[in-house]
Amino acid sequence: MNCEEVRHHLVLYLYDEAGPERRAALEAHLAGCGACRARLEDGRKFHRLLSERPTTEPSPELLAQCRRALNLAIEDELDKVTWRGLFRNFLSSLSALPGPRAAGVLTLLMLGFGLGWTLRREAAARRSLSPLGSSSPLKEADLAGFHIRGIRQVQRDPRTGGVKITVDAERRVTLTGSLDNPRIRAILVEAVKSYRNPGIRRDTLDALRNDDQNPAVRSALLYAMEHDPNVGVRLDALQSVRSMPWSPEVEQAVLRAVERDSNPGVRVEAVDVLARHANPKILPALRQLAATDRNPYVRFECAKAMRQLMADQP
Amino acid sequence: MNMGRLSKMGSEEAAMSDGACWELTEGVTAETVEGDGEFVLVRRAQAGDAAAFEALVRAYDRKVLSIILRMVGSADIARDLYQEAFLKVFRSLPRFRFQSSFSTWLYRVVMNVCLDQMRRQQSRNETAAPEEHGDYFDGLRDARPALDPARALESREIGQRLEQALASLNPRERAVFELRHYEGLKLRAIGEICGTTEETAKNCLFRATQKLRHALGDLG
Repeated sequence: MNCEEVRHHLVLYLYDEAGPERRAALEAHLAGCGACRARLEDGRKFHRLLSERPTTEPSPELLAQCRRALNLAIEDELDKVTWRGLFRNFLSSLSALPGPRAAGVLTLLMLGFGLGWTLRREAAARRSLSPLGSSSPLKEADLAGFHIRGIRQVQRDPRTGGVKITVDAERRVTLTGSLDNPRIRAILVEAVKSYRNPGIRRDTLDALRNDDQNPAVRSALLYAMEHDPNVGVRLDALQSVRSMPWSPEVEQAVLRAVERDSNPGVRVEAVDVLARHANPKILPALRQLAATDRNPYVRFECAKAMRQLMADQP
Repeated sequence: MNMGRLSKMGSEEAAMSDGACWELTEGVTAETVEGDGEFVLVRRAQAGDAAAFEALVRAYDRKVLSIILRMVGSADIARDLYQEAFLKVFRSLPRFRFQSSFSTWLYRVVMNVCLDQMRRQQSRNETAAPEEHGDYFDGLRDARPALDPARALESREIGQRLEQALASLNPRERAVFELRHYEGLKLRAIGEICGTTEETAKNCLFRATQKLRHALGDLG
């Protein structure tokens, strides 16, 4: 390999993408060529310069905004998808029928639709004549902020000629307050332990992270780390536990996570947390895992943590 | 967040399986170290399980947002592209047939959304330098230890020069360079994500590095 070829392949070499043969040829050339070694060093400096770019971890606020907007967009999408999906399913089931039967189904459907449309228009015309249509006691403001999830019952009132509708409705309420407020804290602790939406559980963990001196919060974080059904939430809880004041209670909980968690990623993170606290009492547990864990990467991490712990021993 | 493991991975871990550093670290997040967890989540999401889809989003979205921010340099645009990308994934998920890993497929969608945006920006000649946008750094959390003020200023200036130089690359070169240099993906994976070959990705990386050296030579 000559200097010109080396110059051409230096970029791939720096990115460890040259492949074994080309790499060997490059290294052989570099060993005997000072000019190319200088060029390589120059390339390394330039790499370091490129790495000066600020780390692009998105801010928690931006991530939270994105997640909220996506949730709303998906809710809209689901509303649309329901009708589209029904229509698509209907068409695909229709195509499976023999020709005459499919034609019969379509005719019936069109008749039914036509009848419904006619009755709907008549009903609308009648409604517009009724006193209720022009003087409904229901005001726009009454429903502001409510999201109607379903209708339970519709009853006509023969005395007044009005109608009574029973609906399942939700109203969004925003609570604000400090984490010192026991009610706010109680809601968050409850949400971490039992709210069904894992995204909300993770956001709640984020909110509680700095309040780990409080016993109820600490217990909720440890609970989430051990028992949350979502692996992402368990990993986030582990991140919170990492910065918690270390105590036998915390150590036991992390040890249980190492031994029992079904996800190897969580087990690896838990080993990392344990290793940072350098307590020689955990050596037997690590030894056991290094020999028996079913995942090779976890075994590797356990062995590494053991070596580190033993090296730290006086 | 566990995505941080990507940067923590050292050569020991990477050496465990050739070229698997990216997959391994992503897997830690999305339960694919053993493969089954993510497969099950995707299958459940395909069957309409909203919680499973949300879990998939949460497993990857921080990384996705980070990539988008790097590519477009504006928090406002990044917010829109994040939504566009995940909505595309949501709509197309029923047709996903596991011909690649879920993460490769997801990043392909993300890169297509970013490349489309960058092409639109370029055609409107709107690619503004980050200091003109003013919101690029606002959308970021600087994960480095605190710097002294003079060093911080210098670093910020270098950062701005870098952004300008990166903005001068064409969209594909930019994509390949970002994914290789900053995200640490292997060129083979980048080729798959960008819908091209490893060889083309190599050429893009080479051209991008040459252009950056030309633009930033005085800083080196």
